[in-house]
This record gives sequence, structure tokens and C-alpha cells, in this order.
Amino acid sequence: MSASTLLHAPLSRTFASTAGFRVLRSLQVRRAASSSVQYVPGGPVYKGTVNDPTTFPPPSKMHGSHHWSFERLLAASLVPMTAAAFVTSGSSYPVLDGIFGVSLVMHSHIGFDSMLVDYLHPRKFPFLGNFMKWTLRTMTLGVLVGVYQFNTNDIGLTELIAKVWKA
Amino acid sequence: MNPEIPTGSPSVYRRGWPRVQSLRFAMMMSARVGITPTLKRAAFISKHARNVALRSAVVRRGIQTESLPPSASEAILNHQRLKRPSSPHFTIYQPQLTWISSIANRATGGALSALLYGFSLAYLFAPGTFDSTHIIELISGLPEYVKYAGKLILAAPFAFHSLNGLRHLAWDMGKFLSLKSAYRAGYAVLGATAVSTIALVLM
Repeated sequence: MSASTLLHAPLSRTFASTAGFRVLRSLQVRRAASSSVQYVPGGPVYKGTVNDPTTFPPPSKMHGSHHWSFERLLAASLVPMTAAAFVTSGSSYPVLDGIFGVSLVMHSHIGFDSMLVDYLHPRKFPFLGNFMKWTLRTMTLGVLVGVYQFNTNDIGLTELIAKVWKA
Repeated sequence: MNPEIPTGSPSVYRRGWPRVQSLRFAMMMSARVGITPTLKRAAFISKHARNVALRSAVVRRGIQTESLPPSASEAILNHQRLKRPSSPHFTIYQPQLTWISSIANRATGGALSALLYGFSLAYLFAPGTFDSTHIIELISGLPEYVKYAGKLILAAPFAFHSLNGLRHLAWDMGKFLSLKSAYRAGYAVLGATAVSTIALVLM
């Protein structure tokens, strides 16, 4: 068909230059062309024209590689801390118990945050995603205060688990 | 882009009939598709008469058309996309150790963290009811089989999440990354989870 031959010659030449140009442009943060249709949950609505690529978040080490490294180091540090909590009692080493409690809460917060980013991303769920993000942050703050109160005014997390297990 | 197809037309027919603008295009189309002799005849009469003939042909078939600006195409496309169904993906994927262990890691972690969050917030808002003495009293009053079931429900997710977490950290260090070794490590985690759970429950 002559239509296909027409497609091959000029299209391949223009594609290389425009694709490269578009990729470079899309790496910068740019505001999408205004569109009257909003991004609806579950709906594959696009912003701008059909040929515009998706936008990317601005590159940031704090939200990228540093966050990843911190997450893995925290998870790795939980291994010896849990072993220590098994062996000793929380009352003998309250500082270790405190650090263990805070690390556990931070590990849980990062885990919940990953679940929110995967299932309730603000790009697709503008209201619910942001609402849940701030709800999680508030709850983590409350949990940190609760863990501090429990470790200070009561026997502490490791001691509680040990006593409940033998109860 | 085919230069012979006319562009920049100010109106779009909703049913997708091409708007014949130039004589050359009409002749090209009729030559390719072998369209009716009426169009060939129409090519030789005046432009007005040809347009009338075409428009009447369209009206005779009973198709309603409506003039829209090019920007309307985006709105139509978005409304169509919103109504389109998506084919099954998550519900039909074959269960495999790779993704089952991954989602189980997330689920066990989420459940244990929810327990931690729930207890801490409960203690923060009602320290009188949720302090250690009350909790230990409550649990020691339960029948033995309930206590064993409770230990099982707590020990199994904890053991699996910890051991699979070690497997995950090994991946982050570059180990067990082939399919075979990932499966072997996965089976090792499942075996170790079973052993650890029994050990913890009997402790």
C-alpha cells in the first residue's frame, strides 16, 4: 500500500529528532497545557495534547537514592535490635528499647508510605491521596508520642510482648 | 504526513466521513477504491453542483453531522476513554512464588504495623484501659487454645516478614537475583518461617 511507504520515509526521520527533543523537554518540570477535563480516578484522561509525554517529578536525592539507602539501612538495623530485644529485657536497657521503638515506628511509616504511593498516588487520586498522606503523617506522630508514653510510664514494648507471650 | 490529504478543515464530521475538498483527492480516491461513477461524473460538473450532489447523498442516508472545532476532539477522546473497560490483569495472573511472597511481605508488614499503630494510639488516648497490667490480666484470663491461636496469628506474620525481609535485603545487595536463586531463597524462607513459627509458639 502506498500509505505505508509514505509513513516510513518522512516519519522515521522526524521521529528521531522530535522524540529526542521531547524526552529532553519532558525531563524538566513543565506545566501541562491547560485542559478542561480533570484527571479522574480510574479514568485514563490525559493532559495537553495526544503527543505530549507524561511529566516526571523533579529529580531529588532526598526523595530518591538517599531515601532508598535510609530505608534499607533502617531495615538492616532492625535485625540486630530485634535479636537483642529477644535476648535481654526492656527494663535493663531502656535506651535500646527506646531506639528500637522509634526504629520500628519509622520502618512502619516508610512501609505505609510506599503503600500509599503505590495504590493512592496523588496524581491519580488528587484528594484521597493527599488526604491519606497527611493522615498517615499525623498518625505516625501520635504513635511516636504513644510509644514514648508507654516506654516511660509503663513497662515498654519489648517487656510487654515478653509478658504477654508468657501470660 | 501525506501531503495530498487536505488538512486544516474547520469542521469535523462526527461519523468520520472525509470531507472532499479538492478535485484531485476525489479523483485519487475514486481511482483507488473504484467508487461509483457518480463521483467521476461529479468531477466534471461545476463545484456547486458537485457539493449539492454530495450533500444530498449524505442527507439521503440519514446521517446527522455537526460542526465542531478541532479542540473538541480532545474532549470526545477523554469521554470515550473514561467509558472504556479494562481487560482483566490482576485477577487472572497465575499465582507464583515471586509475586505471592512479595504481596505477602507487604500484607504481613502492614498488619503488624497496624497492630503497633492501633495499640500505641489506644494507649495514648486511653492509658487507663490499655496499660500493661490490664492487657496482661485480660490475656491470662483467656482459655489455652485461644492463647495458642493468638500466638500463632502473631508469630507467623512476624517470622515471615522478618525472613522475607532478609531475602529482600539480599536482593538489594545483588544476591539471589536470578529466577532460580530467587525461587530457592523463597522456598528457604517458607521453610524457615514454618520452623520459626513453631519455635515461637512453643516458647
